[in-house]
Amino acid sequence: MTHIIIQGLLLSGLYALIAVGFTMIFSVGRVLNLAYGVYIMLGGYIYFQCVQVWHLPKAVGFVMAVAAGVAFAVATYQLLVRRLENNPVAVEISTLILAVVMQALIVMIYGAASRTMWPLVNGVWRIEGVAVTYNILIATVASWFILGGLMWFVHKTHLGRAIMAVSMDRKGAMVSGIDPRRISLITWAISGGLGAIAGVFFATYTQLDPSMWVGPLIIAVAVVVIGGIGSIVGSLIVAHLIGFMETITTSLLAAELRGVFTMLLIIIVLIVTPKGLFGREEL
Amino acid sequence: MSPLLELRNITKRFGGLTAVNELSYHVEEGESLGLIGPNGAGKTTTFNLIMDEFQLTSGQIIYRGTNIEKLPTHKRVQEGIVRTYQVPRPFHEMPVSDNIRIGMMPENIGKMIAEAPDPDAEMAIARSVGFGEREFAMYPGELSMGDLRRLELARTIAAGPKLLLLDEVFAGLTVAEIGQITELLLEKRKDGLTYIIVSHDLRSLAPLVDRVVAMSFGALLSEGSFDEVLADEKVQEAYLGT
Amino acid sequence: MLSDPGMRKYLVGWALFGVALLLFPQVATSGTLRIFIFANFIAIFAMSWDILSGRTGYISFGHPFLIGIAAYTSAMLTYHLQTPLYFSIPLGVIATMVGGTLFFLPALRIRGTYFALVTLAFMELMYQLTQVMRPDITGGTRGLSGLPTLLTGALPNYYLSSAVMFVIAFCLWLLIRTRLGTALSAISMDEDAVKSSGLDTTKLKLFAFMVSAFVAGVGGTLYVHYLGSIAPRAIFDINFLFTILIAALLGGASTIIGPIMGAFFLTFLLEYLRPYIPGTERYFIYGSIALIVYVLEPKGLHHIIQRLYGALMRGKQA
Ligand SMILES: Nc1ncnc2c1ncn2[C@@H]1O[C@H](COP(=O)(O)OP(=O)(O)OP(=O)(O)O)[C@@H](O)[C@H]1O
Ligand SMILES: [Mg+2]
Repeated sequence: MTHIIIQGLLLSGLYALIAVGFTMIFSVGRVLNLAYGVYIMLGGYIYFQCVQVWHLPKAVGFVMAVAAGVAFAVATYQLLVRRLENNPVAVEISTLILAVVMQALIVMIYGAASRTMWPLVNGVWRIEGVAVTYNILIATVASWFILGGLMWFVHKTHLGRAIMAVSMDRKGAMVSGIDPRRISLITWAISGGLGAIAGVFFATYTQLDPSMWVGPLIIAVAVVVIGGIGSIVGSLIVAHLIGFMETITTSLLAAELRGVFTMLLIIIVLIVTPKGLFGREEL
Repeated sequence: MSPLLELRNITKRFGGLTAVNELSYHVEEGESLGLIGPNGAGKTTTFNLIMDEFQLTSGQIIYRGTNIEKLPTHKRVQEGIVRTYQVPRPFHEMPVSDNIRIGMMPENIGKMIAEAPDPDAEMAIARSVGFGEREFAMYPGELSMGDLRRLELARTIAAGPKLLLLDEVFAGLTVAEIGQITELLLEKRKDGLTYIIVSHDLRSLAPLVDRVVAMSFGALLSEGSFDEVLADEKVQEAYLGT
Repeated sequence: MLSDPGMRKYLVGWALFGVALLLFPQVATSGTLRIFIFANFIAIFAMSWDILSGRTGYISFGHPFLIGIAAYTSAMLTYHLQTPLYFSIPLGVIATMVGGTLFFLPALRIRGTYFALVTLAFMELMYQLTQVMRPDITGGTRGLSGLPTLLTGALPNYYLSSAVMFVIAFCLWLLIRTRLGTALSAISMDEDAVKSSGLDTTKLKLFAFMVSAFVAGVGGTLYVHYLGSIAPRAIFDINFLFTILIAALLGGASTIIGPIMGAFFLTFLLEYLRPYIPGTERYFIYGSIALIVYVLEPKGLHHIIQRLYGALMRGKQA
């Protein structure tokens, strides 16, 4: 029982971080960025390259990973999304193609086999008979800090409020002098950075693998679909729902079934309540 | 005899906003009814409710003596209630001819496949709204606002209406175009078509309507002949107040 | 119908295409024929995708789900019960159409992005289920092999796949030339306006879904009995989805010739690149090409060629 609670909390924190960058783009631009998983993958591989191939300090690896995520997200927005802005389906298709192209690129450079990432911090912490690696603990705590920082940014800073304004009412924001394209660009940049950070954590938690973008993407999608848009809090709740569901399935049923329930949840929620559990205006 | 269409206490709420509030009015067979009211009064919402494009919060819609609240949109169209959109909604990637073809389509999929379309009948409808061969082959993107409104009309006429709901048919048109459309509508009226016409352009509306219903904030304000309604203080206040 | 000169021109085109397919083995090696067989299957899948997504605008990211149902049904029937192919293949097609109904249910309520996501979820769900549930029946991760094949040798298989591809293409072409085709395209432009023109869009969509599932079913069952084996990662896979999607989009969605062109272009690009850059790099290159074409012209190669041709003709006249 304690085991499930601890593991569930840790996993959920990571999932919340994975989902939040994706949700931001969706709420500001109303488009699904299916290349979001790529930022996660890039984050992981760039960190790996810096730290485990070039033996640079971990902090440098981290910064490089974030920079790569931001740069790639900005490029996605400027080169693809802006051209297709009024056609969400085209954005979706082209970002999906982009993701597969990037997967092929990773295979070209690193091969198809998975790689193991060293933990960020070594060591294990035991509570109540449950072993928790410092690595996942750090990842979760960092996730919480980042999410907290994001909440503060969105609600308290000028730029953050502008982002919120655009996500709630694009036309209204435009009338009050906010340039929604600039806001979109900034949102994409932030999303890329968040994705890359999540990627470093995720890769140390699991493995580096050229198809590692799919799983997190599906989790992110599930959070948007189930939670409804715009609300960071809604994302947090659903991230925990999925995190705990997966932990429970893994420890009580079978590890392989974990994704099955997430998938079923997406399908059922979309069919039964197309507006998501926490409401959504349009489809 | 019962009216062709009767709305009984229809209400539509969007969250906290009541767009249509306990509204009742009717239109007789062969009659032409004007529906007026300031911006945001709920005129378009009324049409959306009649067509089931929005679900009623409460109230009844009675068409030719039977309640139709349960009928889906396409069934209502098949029963003869057809509407135009305030902002024209042509099928953009199809020429005018195909747009009209959609309106004339049979209900049954087997017939759609087995029976050839009838280009002559399509052309006849295009001509009836004033299109020639040239416009018939054009795409909506190449048409003027006036022509787009004509296309809306053509598509609705193609669907064989008994009751036509016209949402701002005159908006964005030149005086000449307004004249043409007025003539067309008057002619169709002679054939027994019933209308509800929404318009802000009261002067153009006047020659077309037998009776006018004025609404404001989703509720009925006044009802009667064109002159009576315009003379009504409440109506003048509502228009000046916005 | 034949008196219509436009129609006659098209029919001549189809006849030429048919003859070309028929004569092609005279000039091709059996290696090239095998590539062609693969291209034919991709073309069938791309057409199946197109009749649903290209036409109605309901983007399916789960087409491998439909193809997989067909392939697995027939594979399991023949593998475990030794069902003869002439029985297992129709059953596979029927099962796919039932699966198509599953696909259809969400389309009653959700549109656009959300529909695409549900179909993607269907595919992933199937991938995981085939591995976890009853691996003794599905073959688990490894899949099933040693399945009976319909024909042996490159030439017979070439003729079979070409004939099926040709017949499907021609029938779909006839179908979309009718008013039904017009109505389905209208759905992708403005579904509500189609409803308010008096058409039952639910029925129209169901019809398109059933046709799509039927084609996917025929393609999927024949494909598995051409390959003789099946595995979850070969079917319920993003790369497989990607190949189908790109074939349809690259060629030009919502046309019949587009998906065929796309499928052939892709397959040959892939094969001719093989000597120079083996392995996954090819995916990178064709993905990049597809992405560039798609972003520049979402209507695809078909449209680009049409425009070039138009410009050329106008140039001549001037
Ligand atoms: N889908 C919707 N969701 C929320 N509110 C809506 C929706 N559609 C209309 N409204 C609101 O309902 C009210 C009535 O709108 P409606 O479009 O019916 O007015 P109208 O009388 O047609 O005005 P206009 O003359 O400007 O066309 C408005 O306040 C509008 O903002
Ligand atoms: Mg209106």
